[in-house]
Amino acid sequence: MDHQSTLSDALLRQLIAVGQVDILVGLPTLNNAATVTDVVRAVHVSFARDFPRLRTVMINSDGGSTDGTPELIRSSSLSEADTLLTSHSLRTLHRVLAPYHGLPGKLTALRTVFAAVELTQAKVLVVLDPAGPATSAQRVTELISPIARSEVEFLTPCHRRHPRDGVLVTQLVRPLVRALYGVALDEPLGAEFSCSGRFASHCLERDLWEHEVARFAIDLRLRTEAIAQGVAIGQIWRPPPTGAGARTTLREAVQQVVLALIESLRAHASFWTATNGIAPLPTWGTEPDGIPNAQTWDYEAVAGQARHDIGEIHPLLEEVLDSSLLARIIGEASASELRSDDELWVKTVYAVAAAARQGRIGAEHLAGLFVPLYLWRAAAFMARAAHETDVAVYQGLESLSQTFLRLKPVLVDSWSAEV
Amino acid sequence: MIQEIAEALAQSWSNFTGAFVLFVPRLVAATIIFAGGFIVAVLARRIVRSTLVSLRFDRLATRTGASEMLRVADMPSADRLVAKIVFWIVWTGFVVSAVDALQFEPLRGLVQQFFLFVPRVLLALLVLALGFLVGNFVWRATLLGSVNAGLPGARLLSGMLRLLVIAIAVVMALEQLGLATSVVLTAFAIAFGALMLGLAIAFGLGGRDAAKQLLEQHLRAQQEREPDATPHL
Repeated sequence: MDHQSTLSDALLRQLIAVGQVDILVGLPTLNNAATVTDVVRAVHVSFARDFPRLRTVMINSDGGSTDGTPELIRSSSLSEADTLLTSHSLRTLHRVLAPYHGLPGKLTALRTVFAAVELTQAKVLVVLDPAGPATSAQRVTELISPIARSEVEFLTPCHRRHPRDGVLVTQLVRPLVRALYGVALDEPLGAEFSCSGRFASHCLERDLWEHEVARFAIDLRLRTEAIAQGVAIGQIWRPPPTGAGARTTLREAVQQVVLALIESLRAHASFWTATNGIAPLPTWGTEPDGIPNAQTWDYEAVAGQARHDIGEIHPLLEEVLDSSLLARIIGEASASELRSDDELWVKTVYAVAAAARQGRIGAEHLAGLFVPLYLWRAAAFMARAAHETDVAVYQGLESLSQTFLRLKPVLVDSWSAEV
Repeated sequence: MIQEIAEALAQSWSNFTGAFVLFVPRLVAATIIFAGGFIVAVLARRIVRSTLVSLRFDRLATRTGASEMLRVADMPSADRLVAKIVFWIVWTGFVVSAVDALQFEPLRGLVQQFFLFVPRVLLALLVLALGFLVGNFVWRATLLGSVNAGLPGARLLSGMLRLLVIAIAVVMALEQLGLATSVVLTAFAIAFGALMLGLAIAFGLGGRDAAKQLLEQHLRAQQEREPDATPHL
């Protein structure tokens, strides 16, 4: 496939003018005027101060911001203090702006950046989240260095989280990815990462970009791809996410994540069905002190909605779950007490994954059907955690992770069964 | 006089024996066709059934929602039903052939008509199957879409849409069979038109303001109620 066709003529001309580079920083933006200036400045200081002998370029891939984000990037300049720091730069600091006109979402933005990596033959790619945690030059450098020194090929941030925070991650994505892919990845959904140019080229060759499902949850897909390809992966401590990104409704987010998980499981079946245990990952940086506060949400209202929705989709659940499993779910949802059994939850997740394999029901419908089940689980987790100490909640999360691992053979068997 | 009666009787007897001599072989042939047809039909049913089982036809039926509809209608499973349909088509073909072998004048041409009718039956069955397939897809998509959009009456709405799609398929199948075409089409057009007109009047004229208010309230409440994903990510 000609990946240069992904790039517009204007961007192609700009990249040709830049020539070969060593480090490429991609900055996908969409209405990030509030934070983007600081991010751009941090990138430039990092380039000039820490990598003065390397050829660098920062590419902004903007999805049609209406708040003047591209103009801010174009006009942002180094402050006096920054200038003092960067006066020893030996290379031109390139800055390329690339509005894209494809489908909205991060997928198109990242594809543009990956194609630029291949064209410029960059050895290091860093993708920053302009709405993510406050970015400093030091943090940009930390993302670049392990890849530049070839210590690792894919570096993904990890955060110190409150045990009640990020329920979709702690109750589904993290334990599932850990159990199936066999690595102790903390943040499978993180928006930032860095990787080698070689891995970026590999991803361009794969059909990651053709699926509508990967449009929003491409971050998850890239991480599972890296693990399945045996790429050396590491983690780096970063500040917790600020949640200042574009608002996504919970139901949309759950559906996108489930679709990306199904896509990953299908793509890497031969890998994860043969993987055992959970291997630790090398981690860079220092674990931040203190636990950030968890964001609060009305879990009782969510539970009420989930209870209603599970009743509504009961005939569909019958098609996916076996009768005993469904009876237990209905039993939980009908009970006055808000609770969810770990083993039942894991079996439900695996049953939905197996249904995706068997093709009894389309992946989009499975993702939609999974939403009420997740809402119930999330609300039940919050109800239980509300009365527990942080230590007990952490232990509960670890126990859930072990349950996912212990019951993995159930999924492997049903996945391997003849369809 | 007696002579004439005797001749008439003799003629009748002669005609009867002649006809009987002609009829018996036809009857025997018809009986053989009838019995042989039954055996062939039973064999065809078994072959079709085992083929469908090996092809996991029941899964397809479950996926299309046909199994559920059959269960509700207290009918056999989809593979059994298809096997039964094949049995009856094959056996009916043989029965018609057997009747034709008797060479009853009023029933002449029955075989030809039957075999002209079979493709239409098969086409009608295909239309019905597609109707179930599309109807079930629409039902599933509407149910999930409505539930996740927080719309009230998701099951009712999705069920009605599935019923509508299947009703259209049934009408198309009946039209294909040529059964009471005008009556069915007219009834369907009247019912469908009345339903749509009723809805249009209810929402567009009679309850315009109320509908507007209701929708605005619902959308506003939906936006306020819909939880943000941020604390979950």
